[in-house]
Amino acid sequence: MRKSIGYAGLILEVDLSEQHLRVRELPDDMCRGYLGGIGFNARIVYDQVPAGTDPLGPDNVLVFGVGAMVGSPFPTASRTEVSAKSPMTGLFGTSNSGMFFGIQLKNAGFDALVIKGQSPTPVYLLIEDGSVNILGAAEIWGQDSWAALDILKNKYPGAEAALIGPAGENRVRFACIENSYYDAWARTGLGAVMGAKKLKAIVVRGRQGLSPHRTDSFIEIAWKARQLIESSPFFQPFKSYGSMNAAMPYGSFKALNAHNFNRGCLPDWKENFARNKVEELTKGHIACQSCIIACAHWVEIREGPYQGLKMKDMEVTPTVSFGSGCGMSLEACVKAAEMGQRYGMDMVSAASVMAMAAEMFTRGTITAEELGYELNFGDDVAMLRLMDDIAHRRGLGDILAEGAKLAGQKIAGGEEYAMHIKGLEMPMIDPRGRFSTWSLGMLTNVRGGDHLRCRNPIENLRYNENKFAYQKERFGFDQKMYEALDMPDHLKKKAIDLEADTTDIAIMSRWAEDLINLFNALGVCIRPPVEHKIGPTILAEAFTAWTGMEMTAEELMCAAERIWNVMKLFNLREGEKTEDSRFPGRFYQEDGGAVKLDEQQITRVLRQYYQARGWEPDSGRPSPEKIKELGLD
Amino acid sequence: MSKVLLIEYDKCVGCKNCEMICSLVHEGTCSSRLSRIRVARDERAGWNIPVSCAMCEEPICVAVCPSGACGRDPNTGIIMIDSARCIGCRQCVMACPFGHANFDPLKKTAFKCDLCQGDPQCAKWCWTGAISYGPLEEWLAQKRQQLALKLHP
Repeated sequence: MRKSIGYAGLILEVDLSEQHLRVRELPDDMCRGYLGGIGFNARIVYDQVPAGTDPLGPDNVLVFGVGAMVGSPFPTASRTEVSAKSPMTGLFGTSNSGMFFGIQLKNAGFDALVIKGQSPTPVYLLIEDGSVNILGAAEIWGQDSWAALDILKNKYPGAEAALIGPAGENRVRFACIENSYYDAWARTGLGAVMGAKKLKAIVVRGRQGLSPHRTDSFIEIAWKARQLIESSPFFQPFKSYGSMNAAMPYGSFKALNAHNFNRGCLPDWKENFARNKVEELTKGHIACQSCIIACAHWVEIREGPYQGLKMKDMEVTPTVSFGSGCGMSLEACVKAAEMGQRYGMDMVSAASVMAMAAEMFTRGTITAEELGYELNFGDDVAMLRLMDDIAHRRGLGDILAEGAKLAGQKIAGGEEYAMHIKGLEMPMIDPRGRFSTWSLGMLTNVRGGDHLRCRNPIENLRYNENKFAYQKERFGFDQKMYEALDMPDHLKKKAIDLEADTTDIAIMSRWAEDLINLFNALGVCIRPPVEHKIGPTILAEAFTAWTGMEMTAEELMCAAERIWNVMKLFNLREGEKTEDSRFPGRFYQEDGGAVKLDEQQITRVLRQYYQARGWEPDSGRPSPEKIKELGLD
Repeated sequence: MSKVLLIEYDKCVGCKNCEMICSLVHEGTCSSRLSRIRVARDERAGWNIPVSCAMCEEPICVAVCPSGACGRDPNTGIIMIDSARCIGCRQCVMACPFGHANFDPLKKTAFKCDLCQGDPQCAKWCWTGAISYGPLEEWLAQKRQQLALKLHP
């Protein structure tokens, strides 16, 4: 048992084809240049996955990168990034999750785990303090993820596991990797990559401990970080209601994905999904490692057809995906979440293809004969049946398991109902109801149609007015909020105009993407009270005290920018085109209960974003100067 | 002892930050295994139970200790293990009815909560109020008050 400073200090490489293990030291320049988590993943995937690799073939590389500050008491430092080439987008696939997997992997001795090749038979990986074994998975292959976890946790008390369910085994393209029972690395189909490798689970049990470089100052900084987070006006609401806070404002902005983005909101939305309804079904909160918010709810359904369900749930994105996208009841959303977890499926993508199928059924593109049943929006039983069919690739479910984009190509007349960007299904937010930094971020996101890689740290959900269409969003806070935002002054002045009370979407998008990248590299959570109050200044202090590597706020942001550019370069090498950064056609042709998008205006703000990134404004490619500046030439 | 470590199970959300801070201040390393306070957690069932030293009036850990390493500090009343005198027999670990007393596999000695000499860091860092430190009587009075407020809002 070795005591490590900040980092565990080692990278574990497992080749499943050769049944071969290799441990290599974590180089210092990797830590300085890429920090950890998503940074390590970006570098490793870029270097090791050749252009044109089949995402479900043996040459794809699946990387688990633990955030640099995971294993410390820094508030919310719990998160691990998983990346590979995505079977959904064919681009950089990546997903982030908290809980206790990362701290265990690091305490077992590894900052990153790199999985290559393809096993001929189902296996699982057991990683304990210093020892690594590839073991036969006959006992758990074919089991849903909860049943498999029960077996593994019984066998290895105190261990954590990342594993796939039947969806991953069946290579459902949007299968996810479950992170213990209720969490997941959900987006971009990483569970299908793991399933294709015939790797059922990664079990980790680590006990060796991690030490800060300077204990006293690290404790002081972590305490200061806690006070900062608690002082955010977003803290109390998030502590009480978690992410479900966003369900009502987006409904009132007509910015929900109601019935496959046909309408901005459902008529009874307020009654069925409001806070009191959430309170009725929930009791208590659950936290990830070192979190001081505990946004997750413990849910218990006490009556009705889903009576007896008890689980961690009521996270806004899946709940709204099923509730508004498919028109399901709140109780059925909990059932869908249970199935999503057990089967190991990305709930945003699953709900999106289910909503797509319901719209195709409603419009006669597919029939009850093809489906085996009628599929109307709001029919809980039929929706859950379809979800089951998708996970097991039965009937039409087999085609829908390919994801909206491919299913749209395979089903005649289906393409226009596929709500995706770059092959990844869009989450609940409709840019026609509210165009913000978040909306632009879905177009510029390296992983496709997704809202979690760009969010204005001082987004104001009280307002939805937009006098300067597509260019700005309303700032809406006072001078004190402006001053408290940790952003270099010259940039802040450009990003926020206090007099006009606006935030510049292009400039803020670039800042928010880099900031979130920094969080995902250090393993800190992006929940609003954290993103609002924790900036590069305190993160630089914490990183330096934790690892002993002197890094300034500017250097951290530069590393975050480097990581973003590496992921973008990976995408370009895989053939991403400028015109791929586009919302589904419906958004430009129908108003969806709000207003149609103006394509020219969006092209204009995209150009501004590329300029803010130092990229070529027409093509959206990193310029040679930028590549040189970041040391990527 | 006028103040005691007060633990309310239903307030714990299972963040385990108490384990991180406890092991860090005592051992200079963040390690659940070396933490004096431990959170028993069943994720599937959704419960979290922080367990620390109850500072028993008749401590069995002291009674079974053959070397005199485990004993009550006459000044503070805190039950502590003097690692210099500990012979590593693990008797206190086995005798503790709460699974609290523990064994350091590197130092080969037993360890337990020392209430940070009267300023327990687990209580300071616990943000939910599941772990607090104060006089029992005041805490009970507060609980009764909360009950009264529930009945007469």
